[in-house]
Amino acid sequence: MDRNQITKWLKSPAKMAHKYSLHAVYFCTGCGIIEIPPVITTRWDAERFGVLPVATPRQGNLFMITGYVSLKTLKAIIRTYEQMPDPKYTVGFGSCPINGGMYWDSYNTIKHLDRYIPVDGWIAGCMPRPEAVFVGVTHLWTLIDKGKADGYLRYKRYYAAYRRNQEMLFGELQWPPLYPTEAEAEEARP
Amino acid sequence: MIASLRTGLEATFKGVEVTDREDGMMFVLAPGESIPAVLRYLREHGLDHLALVSCVDWIEEGELEVVYLLTCYMRNNTDYGPEQRRHVLLRTKLPRESAELDSVIGIFENAEPHEREIHELYGVHFEGHPRLIPLFLERGYEIPPFRKDFDTRQYVEKTFGAIPPVED
Repeated sequence: MDRNQITKWLKSPAKMAHKYSLHAVYFCTGCGIIEIPPVITTRWDAERFGVLPVATPRQGNLFMITGYVSLKTLKAIIRTYEQMPDPKYTVGFGSCPINGGMYWDSYNTIKHLDRYIPVDGWIAGCMPRPEAVFVGVTHLWTLIDKGKADGYLRYKRYYAAYRRNQEMLFGELQWPPLYPTEAEAEEARP
Repeated sequence: MIASLRTGLEATFKGVEVTDREDGMMFVLAPGESIPAVLRYLREHGLDHLALVSCVDWIEEGELEVVYLLTCYMRNNTDYGPEQRRHVLLRTKLPRESAELDSVIGIFENAEPHEREIHELYGVHFEGHPRLIPLFLERGYEIPPFRKDFDTRQYVEKTFGAIPPVED
């Protein structure tokens, strides 16, 4: 262990533990998945940074969306995100989730991922190189240290708005709301 | 083989135009109602693999062109040669307003997803298809999105532009 960080460990052990146990759900949409095998295997070895791939979203806390998001994929992304345990961090990988990228005028690709689920950080590029993933991970560490990687809290707080956006796109959703919407919360209040 | 196929096609079906190319490719243009019969004939004469079904929108002519690409499986080593190589490209033209065809699933089973895809992206109706429901798309579209008169930019502005950002 790095001796310089002992005070940090003593001050906020939970944050430090979150930082160094990022279990990544690689959501393999689009071309970004080509970059992921070299990232997690011997060439660049993401395990140096404590990033491990997991088998199911119920065990992960880092959600990477690697490429363009079509409408059908967005549905799966929302369900995957809602299954992950708190705290969870979302990173959009490549330019397509940021603003549509080269699919900016496509009829079936969403343009801004952060209007449907909260996103903590972006890695820009088309495609970003594996080094960029590690730069992104170290930035995420800083954000966790400062308490700014709070996407999962924002999802709870603004859930009504997120759900409204999702329903604007899909119409009626086939699953119930994850959190009580504002009206229901108002009713439940004594 | 190619030559006999050509004469056979022209003798059996009315209104079929056959064009040969030197590299073993054969273009067949057939009217819509004779497509299943022509496909069955080609299948019986050795072209037993339907590689793809595709569609082209010729908006100036007001026509949709459905394309079937057929090849054959090579069974013996002697089959591999320039004169044995066979590709047949079967085309048919349909009016854009009422594009209808008979389904060919009975002849080539693997045509099913292709026909579903063409139905949702070009709006061609395939008579006799067991489940003509969307394959890739999640939303309803007024005009099928691969037709040339579908304005993607306008659609994107209307649909995705209307969704507000969640936080400032």
